[in-house]
Amino acid sequence: MAEPQLKRELGLIRVTMLGIGGTICASSFVIIGYAAGLVGYAIIPVVIICGVISLLTMLSYAELGTAIPLAGGEYTWAKVAYGGFIGFLTGWFEWLSNMFYAAISAIGFAYVISYIFPQINIPLAAVIVVFIFALVNLRGAKQTGTAQTVITTIFLIILVIFVLGGWSQAQTSQPAPATGQIGLIGIFVAISYLFELYLGGEAIAAAQAETKNPGRNIPLAIVLTSVITILVYATVVFVAVGIVPPEILSQQPSPIAFAAEQAMGPAVGILVTIGLAIAGLATTNEAIMAQSRVLYAMSRDGYLPKKLCLLDKRFCTPYVAIIVGSIFTAIFAATGLVNFVVYAVNLGFIIGFSIVNLSLIKLRKIAPHLKRPFRVPLYPLTPIAGLVTCVFLALFIEPTVLVLGFELCIVALLAYYVRMVGYNRFRIAFGGISLGLGSLVAFVAYLLGTNSIVLQGVAPAVSTLVFYVLLFISIVQILAGILNLSASER
Amino acid sequence: MNAKRILSKIVGLTQTAIGGIIMIFAFFVFYNIFNMQTVFGFTAESIGLYLWAFIIFGLLSVISGLFLFYEQ
Repeated sequence: MAEPQLKRELGLIRVTMLGIGGTICASSFVIIGYAAGLVGYAIIPVVIICGVISLLTMLSYAELGTAIPLAGGEYTWAKVAYGGFIGFLTGWFEWLSNMFYAAISAIGFAYVISYIFPQINIPLAAVIVVFIFALVNLRGAKQTGTAQTVITTIFLIILVIFVLGGWSQAQTSQPAPATGQIGLIGIFVAISYLFELYLGGEAIAAAQAETKNPGRNIPLAIVLTSVITILVYATVVFVAVGIVPPEILSQQPSPIAFAAEQAMGPAVGILVTIGLAIAGLATTNEAIMAQSRVLYAMSRDGYLPKKLCLLDKRFCTPYVAIIVGSIFTAIFAATGLVNFVVYAVNLGFIIGFSIVNLSLIKLRKIAPHLKRPFRVPLYPLTPIAGLVTCVFLALFIEPTVLVLGFELCIVALLAYYVRMVGYNRFRIAFGGISLGLGSLVAFVAYLLGTNSIVLQGVAPAVSTLVFYVLLFISIVQILAGILNLSASER
Repeated sequence: MNAKRILSKIVGLTQTAIGGIIMIFAFFVFYNIFNMQTVFGFTAESIGLYLWAFIIFGLLSVISGLFLFYEQ
């Protein structure tokens, strides 16, 4: 009996809707409000610049997606280009990012709904959403694509109502005077903060194994998604800051719903809230699908237990990967650790985008004769520009995010060695981990010692004590790392 | 027992103890035992993040320390 395979059943419209639905989510319209507070009316060009930066890497996604049309997206390309640990690390961050993205979308949905039903239990609602969309995903990619198409269409209609209704008021209202200097740094901070805005379009690449005629549909869907989302965000932001000044907009928990209510009354405010809730559902759906495909691909390649790549005989979906990923997603959704989840999403995608651009450059060198139905224009400028902008954006990320990323790398290293190397070389891994932890703690101690970071509300004596404790821990960790590494060489 | 072996035992034991203390500290902070959140200035919003960071750090330290302590 033949092994079940993923079916190619997503057409151009469905795969584009998968990208748009994954990109335009409830949390996007919340962070736009905060960014408007940072840069005022400059939010409109900032949103467009963000979209253009994202498009640079999306073009790399299009080329690699058509040249290597296998499930797994970034992970598969990094494995082909670099192999080994880099491939594993990419898949690891891709899986984590999509899992956290699903969790934050479900939490976002629950928060938006609480605007209408204040008594709702947010963690419980988020968990229920995760399990419902896990079931939808278990039924197959066609059902997933259909659900995404319906959800995204409804949401786009609601946004069109908001834009058409608010346009005339946005045209006639007088802009509020600027309250202060923004400066280039402020613009960069806002761009870095809004990086999350265009995440989700890469779901198209993750679903390439289930896309009909991927050579044509993948690049078209990626470019269409980028163009449509730039237009949607820019128009919605233009109307929103036209109705309500950015300073006031930034103080609202649901800025777009607030702007809609100001322009067209409470009924439209509720309608937009429903739209945002629907967007939250769409992104949860898309992220659950994307994370399961990464787990499937990593398992297929032997990086993770083989059971994760089992396909359902009836629906041909990787049901074990969907169930396992959804359980983790539900756990994180239930904790309500919003900041932790958002940090992981942002950092994971910045790493992923960087590796995609690097993989494209490497594959053009090592596999020049690979059949590429779509080629990135202006190579190598485009992928280099995509890479540089990603690294540049990382400079404006909060230090706590970078520390978290370092820890996730350590966990990835551990998982990789456990699976790929075997027990007898555990000590090498732990030697490296101890050295890494020691260096990290020493770095934090240095920041504390030089007052680069300050423990707010803590007595100076406690702060000094913390510094010496960190110093001691770093010395022990580094020493342990050296001893573990040297012992295993014998 | 040579000097390096003794050093491995001492460092391993210290590292395991540090890992254990950090994990206990994480729970003390999370449940605000002895008013830890105020003493160390942890904001309520970031407690979850610190809990994760401390537990992962502590767990890795304990495993690494035990490798050294039980060195063959």
